Amino acid sequence: MASRRLVVGSLSVVVFLALWQIVGSTNLIRSDLISYPSEVVATMAKMASTGELGSNAWVSLNEFFVGFVPAVIFGIVAGIALALVRRLRLLLDPLLIAIYQAPIIAFIPILVVWFGVGTTSKIVMVFISAFFPVMINTMTGVAQVAEPWTRAVRSFGANTLQVVSKAILPGSLPAIMAGMRLGVGRAVVVLIAGEMYVSVMGIGRLVQVYSSAARASEIVVLVVVISTFGFACVSFLRWLENRIGPWRQELEQ
Amino acid sequence: MSHLDVEDVSLAYRRPLSNEQFLALENVSLGVERGELVTVVGPSGCGKSSLLMLIAALLHPTSGSIRLSGREVKAPGSDRAMVFQDFALLPWRNVLSNVELGMELKGVTPAERRAAAQRYIAMVGLRDFERHFPHQLSGGMRQRVGIARALSVEPEVLLMDEPFGALDAQIRALMAVELLRIWERDRKTIVFITHDIDEAVYLADRVIVMSASPGRIIETIRVDLPRPRDLDVRNTPEFAAYRHQIWGLLEEQVRSTLNWPAVAS
Repeated sequence: MASRRLVVGSLSVVVFLALWQIVGSTNLIRSDLISYPSEVVATMAKMASTGELGSNAWVSLNEFFVGFVPAVIFGIVAGIALALVRRLRLLLDPLLIAIYQAPIIAFIPILVVWFGVGTTSKIVMVFISAFFPVMINTMTGVAQVAEPWTRAVRSFGANTLQVVSKAILPGSLPAIMAGMRLGVGRAVVVLIAGEMYVSVMGIGRLVQVYSSAARASEIVVLVVVISTFGFACVSFLRWLENRIGPWRQELEQ
Repeated sequence: MSHLDVEDVSLAYRRPLSNEQFLALENVSLGVERGELVTVVGPSGCGKSSLLMLIAALLHPTSGSIRLSGREVKAPGSDRAMVFQDFALLPWRNVLSNVELGMELKGVTPAERRAAAQRYIAMVGLRDFERHFPHQLSGGMRQRVGIARALSVEPEVLLMDEPFGALDAQIRALMAVELLRIWERDRKTIVFITHDIDEAVYLADRVIVMSASPGRIIETIRVDLPRPRDLDVRNTPEFAAYRHQIWGLLEEQVRSTLNWPAVAS
């Protein structure tokens, strides 16, 4: 059943690629506007062999992870603190929700003014994009931590830190992972947009350069690279989630 | 002075919505001797679980005090281990690491706690299920994990809050047999809460009967049935007499909670 779904599902992809190839390579629609698969592959090989793809991808990857990892750590800590300390939550909740709802893309120009055209401003953009979904999901996760788990830990004389590390953190991990997946999506979009707005190097920078030159194949190559990265991150997180979270089935019953 | 002393304890709290004062327990005094198995029966809502939470120090008395070996209990600790009706296992931990939880919090070294966990898991008959997760186990097996976890910290007192209440009748009876088998080995002090009269008599050295809300102790009954006991003891006339006596005490209390007058006979 699953394999049949895979076959049927990939059918649409194959047909799409074939049609694109035919329409593009025969110039039915101007191929300089839409390119076509074999040209995209050739362009990708060329961009990779000159090192253009690698060096720019390296810059973007760096910006992503240097921003994303602290966003996850601070997001979890802030989420747990807010969930546990009612007064802090009452104080900060409206502000944080407002910032979370605001489109970060609108802040890109001011972040560039503050942090420069280089990588720092991009790191800050990634941080802000990922921090809020992780934090908000952590808060939700902590609220869903079942009372018996904390009761069991407390009954053995645990202090607050131990209640957090033995019950609250592992109990909210599935929600935290969901927040990380959300954060990946937002951070990738904002990072590319930020690089397109102004930057020295990076995948978004290449998108911007090739757009002004109206180079369709290069842009398609870059889109493939970006979505492959996002897909890989989300798949990895899903895999991790399934590994650590088979116990969630019990709660869903 | 007994091993565990509950001295004139009352517990009152404000109801969250109406904000009226609610008296859960009123002047409860109880002494449990070392190695004694005491069961507490009472109608639901009589505060018998609250009494256990007070001994565990997960709740604090409004007045009165609780002493274990002469020291007042002020905070939860591994000298008192609880077994809960809802098992309260951590679903992301397998059997082995669930049993290790209490010892982790007590500061036992990893190697020691692994060995101890395996020993207690074997004692409750789950040797082949060490790597299973709670959701892969039946209710009876889950509670055996709960018992192993509680025993593994080598508490002075085992506090059991309707531990078999979530299990069906047959499993429940067998779990009581199992508990006595384990208890006969080292005769740990046990306070066991239940609403099942047969279970209370079958297990107990002494049955404490509590009133409907506010909870007070209305009677203490010493159970002089020979040990070790098997399930057949429930069919003896002596057992029936205890059952009858306790039901007599409880019937009125249960009726009062339901606002049912006694049927004229």
